[in-house]
Amino acid sequence: MRLASEQEISDFLKSVEKRAFKRSVYHVRNDEAALDIVQDSMMKLVEHYSHKPAAELPMLFQRILSNCTLDWFRRQKTRNALFSNMSDFEADDMDGDFDLLETLNASNGSNQTESAENQTERAQVLLEIEKEIQELPTRQREAFLMRYWEDLDVAETAAAMGCSEGSVKTHCSRAVQALSKALKAKGIRL
Amino acid sequence: MKHSTSQQDLSIQDRFGRAVTARLSESASTLPYDISERLRAARMQALGQRRAPQTATAPHVMNHGGAATLGFGDGEGSLWHRLAALIPLLFLIAGLIAVNMLNDDFDAKELADIDAAILTDDLPPAAYTDAGFVQFLKSRLEQQAQ
Repeated sequence: MRLASEQEISDFLKSVEKRAFKRSVYHVRNDEAALDIVQDSMMKLVEHYSHKPAAELPMLFQRILSNCTLDWFRRQKTRNALFSNMSDFEADDMDGDFDLLETLNASNGSNQTESAENQTERAQVLLEIEKEIQELPTRQREAFLMRYWEDLDVAETAAAMGCSEGSVKTHCSRAVQALSKALKAKGIRL
Repeated sequence: MKHSTSQQDLSIQDRFGRAVTARLSESASTLPYDISERLRAARMQALGQRRAPQTATAPHVMNHGGAATLGFGDGEGSLWHRLAALIPLLFLIAGLIAVNMLNDDFDAKELADIDAAILTDDLPPAAYTDAGFVQFLKSRLEQQAQ
């Protein structure tokens, strides 16, 4: 396997840094802390894993980012608060009386010119989505964002999160249902 | 039939997930300037960290290069450097050999002097092994002392 060149590492970090920052913000809800976490993660990736093949960098970086976030919580002595969210996994009621399709707008791909009003509305919708993402239990949010935003497959997400593939599927499914319900309740269609 | 329904659910779930994260990507692409700059600085710092150890190990790598090209007449600077480092060692070895030779000479000369003194004396060497002669010498020394 070919090892990552400096240019490849640079390009990879450039492609992932903004999403990593936003993900950290969703977790820690603090811009400064999120910047520190992303910087720590970049340093650790370069320091310890720059000899790895380029294909392994995404999964490794996600894992480092998760660990750095967890370390931040530990340092903040809010570990209990973090893990208390995990009890939400079992508390989720799995009633299937809503339809995901209802929250997916049927008119996908219509590239209309956006008016100022539309832009404001989009920004508002975005804020609501981000708020709901932040409300998700930690592991569900991690799985959801890694799977759909970082575009990792189930196996890679499981490796990055240190859990089984089945757990990843469960977390993603529950996250999608929770988000879908919450957005539908607010009348938001994607 | 159930299997195909499950596949369809997965597909809808994936579509929803990607629709949500597409919105999040919009948000990530419009980060404030200062945040983008700080992320860029963090990236440069991390990459700089990678370069630093490489420059530190460069002389080591060059030394290996010199040794590897020893037989090909290349990397002479390194070869001379190594040879120059051997000179003090050579001097030390030469000094030790010289000291050893001088010491041997002194020992040989000392033994030769004793042998010459014994052989040129009036007294035959066999006299020193005669018990009566030793007694005679002792009694003479006592008389001289009195």
